[in-house]
Amino acid sequence: MMNKHIKLIFISIFLIVVQTTVIRYLTLEGIIPDLLLILIVYISITQGQMSGTLYGFGIGLLFDLITGGVLGISSLSKAIAGFVSGYFFSENKIELTLGSYRFLLILLFVSSIHNLIYFLIFVQGSEINTLYAISNVGLTSALYTTTVSILIVLIFARKYSLKI
Amino acid sequence: MQRLINIIIQFKEYFLLNLLIVISFILLASNDTKQIKAIRSYTVGFIGLVQNTMATIPNVFELQRENELLRKLNISLSDEVNRLREAKIENEQLRKMLEFKEKSQYQLVSADVIGKSLHLLKNTITLNAGEKDGVQVDMPIISEQGIVGRVVVVSSNYSIGQLIINKDFRTSVKIQRSRVDGILAWDGSDYLLMKNVSKKQDVLLGDLVITSEYSRVFPPQIKVGVVAEVSEDAVSLFKNIKITPIVNMTKLEQVFVIKTTADTERVAIENRLKKK
Repeated sequence: MMNKHIKLIFISIFLIVVQTTVIRYLTLEGIIPDLLLILIVYISITQGQMSGTLYGFGIGLLFDLITGGVLGISSLSKAIAGFVSGYFFSENKIELTLGSYRFLLILLFVSSIHNLIYFLIFVQGSEINTLYAISNVGLTSALYTTTVSILIVLIFARKYSLKI
Repeated sequence: MQRLINIIIQFKEYFLLNLLIVISFILLASNDTKQIKAIRSYTVGFIGLVQNTMATIPNVFELQRENELLRKLNISLSDEVNRLREAKIENEQLRKMLEFKEKSQYQLVSADVIGKSLHLLKNTITLNAGEKDGVQVDMPIISEQGIVGRVVVVSSNYSIGQLIINKDFRTSVKIQRSRVDGILAWDGSDYLLMKNVSKKQDVLLGDLVITSEYSRVFPPQIKVGVVAEVSEDAVSLFKNIKITPIVNMTKLEQVFVIKTTADTERVAIENRLKKK
């Protein structure tokens, strides 16, 4: 159990670094996939709501710290994302969820909620239009993140010999 | 008591979420405290080391395209250098004749962009230059083309820059041709905005926008962008001015930090006036 958490912490730090370095090469019209959100949804589905919420908060906090800007915004939105995706945790259906379109639907749903919360706070006191941010950046980012996670679903489907 | 504990255990997920939401809001409200800045500085220093290693992973396609661009640029620059040499000689002669002192150059610190957070309009960059190189918070960041942003967090060897395409970025700017002043901001689109310019002012498409003398952070006359759109609302007293940034932030790889900080005497006198 402890080993699993140490492994997840290392993966989290590694993905935070990837999210702020090499992931920029996947930029499409200024939008990049949110690898951290994929990880949080994965943790919630495999470890449950408590872990998902805690990891979401921790990962978001670290991300806020190293990227500058508003501290607390990612920790809040990612903790809620972890909490919401925890509703889809079912110990008997972990493999089925990870290796099927279910994971994509959950991710799209959670990602949309995450971006909605994020932008509702983020745009305050700025010239950025809330509706523009949510529709143009939030939704496209959610779609892009979901598209990238198809690869992860395929890997799990193959690992668990499932049909998508 | 036992009943309360039972309730907490039963709804532990909800209690945890509420606790974390409260912590997040406390953090949101205390962004500028010294403690938060110190934690941020240590985190940037630690992660910066890893980012520095990761940033060396080459992007083959990007390198090929960049190589091609640099070759073209090299040709045009060679031509320009020749012309500039002539102009410099002529300029020096004129300066001597008029006994003008040559303007002092800014002291620059070069830095590589080792991390970028362009995710969800966050728009910050991590630089491999920090306090040891003389970088301080609020120092301007520029590229050879023009303005890039300003330093917001510094650790010993690394720093974080807030780009001009950041929702919190504001600075005084002016139209180079007509000397009209305004405030630079960003609305989340591909353009920058020049605010507080009244409808009577002279602004034309294609006008060059530069930093003005009113900025506490930026030296004057640094290129910002070009006016791309000018419109007017019946309900507003001001013009809507959209500016195309002169620097492409997505392709930013090397930048310079100008070693200049705000004039403390000026800041003090301005603050005194604000308090009155």
